[in-house]
Amino acid sequence: MDATDKPRLYRRGPLEYAAWAVCVLVAGGLAHTLVTNENYQWNVVGQYFTAPTILEGLRLTIVLTILAMLFGGILGMVIAVMRASTVRPVQLLASGYITFFRGTPVLVQLIFWFNIAALYPNIAVGIPFTGISHAVDVNVLMSATTAAIIGLSLNEAAYLAEIIRGGFASVDKGQIEAADSLGMSSRKKLFRVIIPQAMPTVVPATGNQMIGMFKETSLVSVLGVAELLQSTQLIYARTYQTIPLLIVACLWYLIMTLALSYPQSLIEKRYSLVRSRVSREAPVDPVPMDGEAR
Amino acid sequence: MNGDGTVYARRLRKCYGDRVVLGSIDLDVRSGEIVCIIGPSGSGKSTLLRCIDGLEEVDRGILRVNGEDLGFVETDTAYRALSRKEMAMQRTRIGMVFQQFNLFPNMTARENVMAGPVLVKGVAKKAAASRADSLLADVGLAGHGDHYPWQLSGGQKQRVAIARALAMDPSVMLFDEPTSALDPERVGEVLAVMKGLAERGMTMLVATHEMGFAKEVADTVLFMDGGLVVEQGPPTAVLGNPTEARTQKFLEKVL
Ligand SMILES: Nc1ncnc2c1ncn2[C@@H]1O[C@H](COP(=O)(O)OP(=O)(O)OP(=O)(O)O)[C@@H](O)[C@H]1O
Ligand SMILES: [Mg+2]
Repeated sequence: MDATDKPRLYRRGPLEYAAWAVCVLVAGGLAHTLVTNENYQWNVVGQYFTAPTILEGLRLTIVLTILAMLFGGILGMVIAVMRASTVRPVQLLASGYITFFRGTPVLVQLIFWFNIAALYPNIAVGIPFTGISHAVDVNVLMSATTAAIIGLSLNEAAYLAEIIRGGFASVDKGQIEAADSLGMSSRKKLFRVIIPQAMPTVVPATGNQMIGMFKETSLVSVLGVAELLQSTQLIYARTYQTIPLLIVACLWYLIMTLALSYPQSLIEKRYSLVRSRVSREAPVDPVPMDGEAR
Repeated sequence: MNGDGTVYARRLRKCYGDRVVLGSIDLDVRSGEIVCIIGPSGSGKSTLLRCIDGLEEVDRGILRVNGEDLGFVETDTAYRALSRKEMAMQRTRIGMVFQQFNLFPNMTARENVMAGPVLVKGVAKKAAASRADSLLADVGLAGHGDHYPWQLSGGQKQRVAIARALAMDPSVMLFDEPTSALDPERVGEVLAVMKGLAERGMTMLVATHEMGFAKEVADTVLFMDGGLVVEQGPPTAVLGNPTEARTQKFLEKVL
């Protein structure tokens, strides 16, 4: 064999061999117990995996995730803009919101919204001083699903507001000065200069939040909302096949999370490219010299 | 052109907290005059230009650009702040070029130049685009309209930044060390564009360390130190035959 074609064999440390051994042992043991332990009841898992109740629950979980991210995103954007305001009281309102919603558990917030009727049994919607008003019974209005959407959205808004604020902070101060110097209005500055440049930081982080939210929706099962987890609970409450049904739920959560991870990795790759371009001072491959038409 | 292209200041004062950054500045810049501001680091050159562009709040004194009080109207007892919109209108008549270019990285060179006219003045996109292309050609960047800032060299970026400022038809142009962030071989191309602009009668205030440029182009050289104008006059006097000891010391170091 020609010396120039010979492959180079690099050394592997003993730690690496040991780690592989542990890996194989764990995987083997896990496979063994999964197959031999009858209590997993894989046939039941298979039976319920695509049962209508489960699929209906999965659908609701997806809808809840999308709505919570959507409303949370819109509100989060408003709060982030308020937080960045130079008007002190506006800033304080936003900080207060963020502190409260990040400082208390989501589960407690969800139960709170579900029981809000205890605080405000009736709300009247009306136009002040005109006598036109319409009273609403809060108990009827605040169904479990409504409480779930409100609770998840309001909580998510606080986290997204912080992410968006971080995005705003990542925009170079010189950009704002350049926009000011041209006489740009605050709105134009926000939408044409700040937001486009905050995207590379905000979008990947929001994607991660979305993956987190997908699993967080399982909390609303305590309100009796028939999302994925609650749907399995409804079944095993009847059949007592608790473990196989929880496996069904876990498999769906895992599948959906993996499905979201792929676009997430693409987004991260794309935006890290944008970031590195923006921060690069001189071009690596200089474009043709001045005045040359292309 | 908008405005008469003059800058007038009397006892202009600017502090950061307790720190006096501009002590008491007097300026009389005629229309079409080229003023080069020199001085050691931290002497207040940038701060002065930023005040004239309305990027910094002035504490005291008179500051009139294009014959109008900048950001304020004078009443019997005080200066009352203008609305944001009126302030923005004044700013459109003042162009600023930054040391770090500050081009919008999310826009192409052409879009950068169009940004002011389209987003601030409401000019139609098509008209703004063709105007942008001719401005880019003026600064020697014909054909670069579709390039993003990251595809341009420092000198090219700075020339786009000049075109962006010119697109607003300002009557005063401010340059804050426009060549300090450039590779030495790129400095000339930016200075050439600025010379061209000076010949066309633009009022220019340039903070710079380029003594050659000051000597050749400036009508007036202003030497600043410690937030004060220590010496001013034609370049032959200030650069060639300074009377103040501080000016002499500074020039010995840089020349
Ligand atoms: N935002 C700020 N807060 C506090 N101090 C500041 C601020 N900006 C500038 N200064 C101070 O004001 C003084 C003048 O700064 P300025 O940038 O105007 O100097 P300069 O003459 O432009 O210097 P250089 O040649 O380094 O650019 C410096 O001492 C600086 O530390
Ligand atoms: Mg400076």
